[in-house]
Amino acid sequence: MLSNLTSGIRRLSGAAAVLGFGAVIAFAPSAEAKVRVAYGDIASVENLHLLAAFELARQKGVEIEMTYLKSEDIAAQAVVSGQADIGVGGPYALIQKVKVPVRLFLQLSTLRFYPVVNAASYKTWKDLDGQEVAVHSRGSGTEAIMRLMEDKQGIKFFKISYIPGSEVRAGALIQGNVKASIVDAAGRRLLEEKAPGKFIVLPMDGVNATDEALFARQDFLDKNQKEVDIIVESVLTTWREVTKNPAVVAEWRAKYNLLPDLPADQAKSIVPYFTELAEGKAFPLNGGGEAAVKDDFAFYTLSGQLTGQPASLKVEEFWSLEPLNRVLGKVGTN
Amino acid sequence: MSLPLHAKGSPRALPSTEASFLWRKLSEHRTALWRTASIGLFFLVWEIAGRVPISFAFPTFLETLRAFLNMLFNGAFVAAYAQTLQPLVIGIAISAVVGVGVGIVMGLSRFAEWLVAPVFIVLQAAPMAALIPLITFVYGIGLLAKTLAVIMLALPVIALNGYKAVRNANPSLVSMCVSFQGTRWQTITKIIIPDASPVIFAGLRLGLAAGFIGVILAELLITPTGIGDLITYHRSVADYPEMYAAVVSIILVSTLTLAALEAFELRVLRPEKRRT
Repeated sequence: MLSNLTSGIRRLSGAAAVLGFGAVIAFAPSAEAKVRVAYGDIASVENLHLLAAFELARQKGVEIEMTYLKSEDIAAQAVVSGQADIGVGGPYALIQKVKVPVRLFLQLSTLRFYPVVNAASYKTWKDLDGQEVAVHSRGSGTEAIMRLMEDKQGIKFFKISYIPGSEVRAGALIQGNVKASIVDAAGRRLLEEKAPGKFIVLPMDGVNATDEALFARQDFLDKNQKEVDIIVESVLTTWREVTKNPAVVAEWRAKYNLLPDLPADQAKSIVPYFTELAEGKAFPLNGGGEAAVKDDFAFYTLSGQLTGQPASLKVEEFWSLEPLNRVLGKVGTN
Repeated sequence: MSLPLHAKGSPRALPSTEASFLWRKLSEHRTALWRTASIGLFFLVWEIAGRVPISFAFPTFLETLRAFLNMLFNGAFVAAYAQTLQPLVIGIAISAVVGVGVGIVMGLSRFAEWLVAPVFIVLQAAPMAALIPLITFVYGIGLLAKTLAVIMLALPVIALNGYKAVRNANPSLVSMCVSFQGTRWQTITKIIIPDASPVIFAGLRLGLAAGFIGVILAELLITPTGIGDLITYHRSVADYPEMYAAVVSIILVSTLTLAALEAFELRVLRPEKRRT
């Protein structure tokens, strides 16, 4: 009864969509396809290069509408429910547990975090044995990194506490409420500016897990190959340009009038921010792909986002590699 | 509120005595039956909605129940409530003492009313969820900030209820006390406060309900600890049945606490309202 009703509604809405599409095709043949992108954070310096990449895609004829949401999982929900076409984030847990036909298709960034300790209290990893450290949240990438280092260094933290927000943890480090934590590039620079010499960044082997990626429903990827390819190509070329010349981001900001309300001190931080990331080779120049997925499986099974053995997880159940492979065939690998 | 328990003389005359006995038994527990049926119907609708499904992230009732029992027996709830109840209990205790005290003073003195009442009225009207991030700027992210969030929600309603109760104390009782040559102190302690106590207590009950809102807001908006952590964590790893179970548990805990308080109130403070 109920399923009859809902399928009826679905059929009706399907018919309405067909009519709507028909109308668009019939009466507005020159209208650009609009792609709705859901982003789980506010627009800031950290995603300026992504905004620039979308501007590039816009020039190539893909109209993009950005929506800024409170958190990554809300962005994922918007994509699943069809209220957005493309999301930004890494919804591995959602894809595995809820079995929705959502696939990642382009890696935007890998986790870049810096374990930081107060130099007055600790000097090395070994000093953290039996001590308290603060990370973002339970099940987060920062927690997984710290747990990974625990294993590698053969130490055991007394306690892991949760303080969401890298800038909040940086603030707590400066105030002295927290003696050991893990912050992002912006937080690290904040610490170096506000309290030079007071903190030590502990060495860490590279963690190559995805921080942010683009994802969409499989049916969207199948139906809108042209638009998806343009977006993927725009991001890849933008990432390559930023890596070659990080200062170009500031130029793009002026050219496309991105984030016009940015305060002056933050505007000044654009070039140093991207220079540091470019030097650290933080921009995936080949969009992730299969190698990145394997790293993600290893890392996110450890962090608890994914369950099961990394070897038993199937790439095609999480990623749609076709758009990336098509574009790499065109622009070449780097 | 109180439904008649006994429907004297069953509406239908049943031929066999056994059936009429059954009917009498049923009608004795009619309230309980209807209530159970109402809850059962709700769970049924939930189960159907989960199976349709109305959203991929909406678990069925049975999945949620399984998750709830799991978390109950593996100690997750115990550990979470040990954390969540700390700011709640401290905050409610402070709000109760300060709120009732300030409420009584405001009720007795026009000057105190003018001075303090507007603050509480504004606080009560303010959307607190918007103010909680401000607390973190001043008081950080620890227990103090969370306790303050509870107080900000609970204190205004307790204080304002106390104030209105004292202000509206029965004037004929007060006149009686005065005509029996009662002192001002006697009027307050023997007449006004006892007369106001039912409404003050109702304020405490409302304050506790607001305190539950405060502590959950704090745990979702400041740092995830206790039950707020269970909700955010299970959401972030897409364990939706567990997330819903955590939400249900806090609803259950607050409902049961408030029901217990109401029962206590009826028994001790308002014997006239008790069913006879």
